[in-house]
Amino acid sequence: MEIEKFLKLLVEELELESPLTVTTNLKELEEWDSMVAMMLIGAVSNEFDMTLSAKDIEEITTVQSLINKIGVEKFS
Amino acid sequence: MKKSILITGVTSGIGKAIAEELLLDSNIQLFGIGRDRTKIQHLINNNVNFTFINFDLFQIDKVEGLFKEEFNDIKFSGFIHCAGIEETLPISLYTPEKVRSIFQINVFSAIELLRFLSKKKHSLDGASFILMSSVMGELGQAGKVGYCSSKAALLGVVKSLALELSKRVIRVNAVLPGIVNTPLTEKLFEQLDEENVRKIKSMHPIGIGEVSDVVGILMYLLSDKSKWVTGQNFKIDGGYSIQ
Ligand SMILES: NC(=O)c1ccc[n+]([C@@H]2O[C@H](COP(=O)([O-])OP(=O)(O)OC[C@H]3O[C@@H](n4cnc5c(N)ncnc54)[C@H](OP(=O)(O)O)[C@@H]3O)[C@@H](O)[C@H]2O)c1
Repeated sequence: MEIEKFLKLLVEELELESPLTVTTNLKELEEWDSMVAMMLIGAVSNEFDMTLSAKDIEEITTVQSLINKIGVEKFS
Repeated sequence: MKKSILITGVTSGIGKAIAEELLLDSNIQLFGIGRDRTKIQHLINNNVNFTFINFDLFQIDKVEGLFKEEFNDIKFSGFIHCAGIEETLPISLYTPEKVRSIFQINVFSAIELLRFLSKKKHSLDGASFILMSSVMGELGQAGKVGYCSSKAALLGVVKSLALELSKRVIRVNAVLPGIVNTPLTEKLFEQLDEENVRKIKSMHPIGIGEVSDVVGILMYLLSDKSKWVTGQNFKIDGGYSIQ
């Protein structure tokens, strides 16, 4: 998936107020809470057929770190 | 004559535990549905009283063929629907396809199996049918729209079918466990942080359950000791739901 498209998808699925870049720290978003984390797990599962664990969620900071978790090879 | 009993979800967790218990009785002929036979190879090997049937319950349209080919001359005395899937997904991501998929295993496959099991050709009068629901069939939790609604649907099936089959004294009941230590729960706990896992455990006053804790009520419901019990929901949850 193109990174640009992924950023848009996250904004839409997580219902964020402002656009994301790869350096945005997800945990620092005003919207971030357990419900958004759940939506993130669901969105990643739908798109990439992988389930992020609680440990993954704990370790994620920026969008880039999320991309690394999913696998950089899946992005262009 | 041997009693024939059918179990779905026989390869794991609660289904596997009840299968192991039933196979201790040489008067029981057990039929078990699952996909991954490697998980119960020890039960399948050299057990004349056990027939494993590799069948994907997503293929509901093949259930009819299953009864024609595998169960043609079998009249069952018992049925336990243990197959089930659990998932956590917010409503915003619950597409019709996702909803259908969880209902397919948890509810629709059970109804289709019961459609054939309810026929005189495939069940004895006085048989006992048990559906594995969950405390989540009566309670709620964020992210569980699919799981909770599918488990609640089973409770409707139980009450209606208990009335429909009462003429033949066939009993239909639901068992609603709290958290039981099985591969399903392991998967669920993997998605939660330690804090949440601790919280869930502490919500069960006498602790979370082991599969052996659920086997007893299933044995009771299958037996004649429960012959006046039908259309009921049995919560078995270490006190989780009374708070
Ligand atoms: N564990 C709990 O805490 C808990 C609590 C309340 C209710 N329950 C309910 O109790 C039941 C058993 O739970 P469990 O913990 O023993 O679950 P489990 O260990 O995950 O086992 C699930 C079983 O369902 C079968 N299954 C899943 N999808 C299938 C498919 N498409 N076709 C055929 N079989 C399929 C699996 O077979 P294969 O692996 O061979 O495909 C497996 O044998 C479930 O209905 C669950 O919702 C469990």
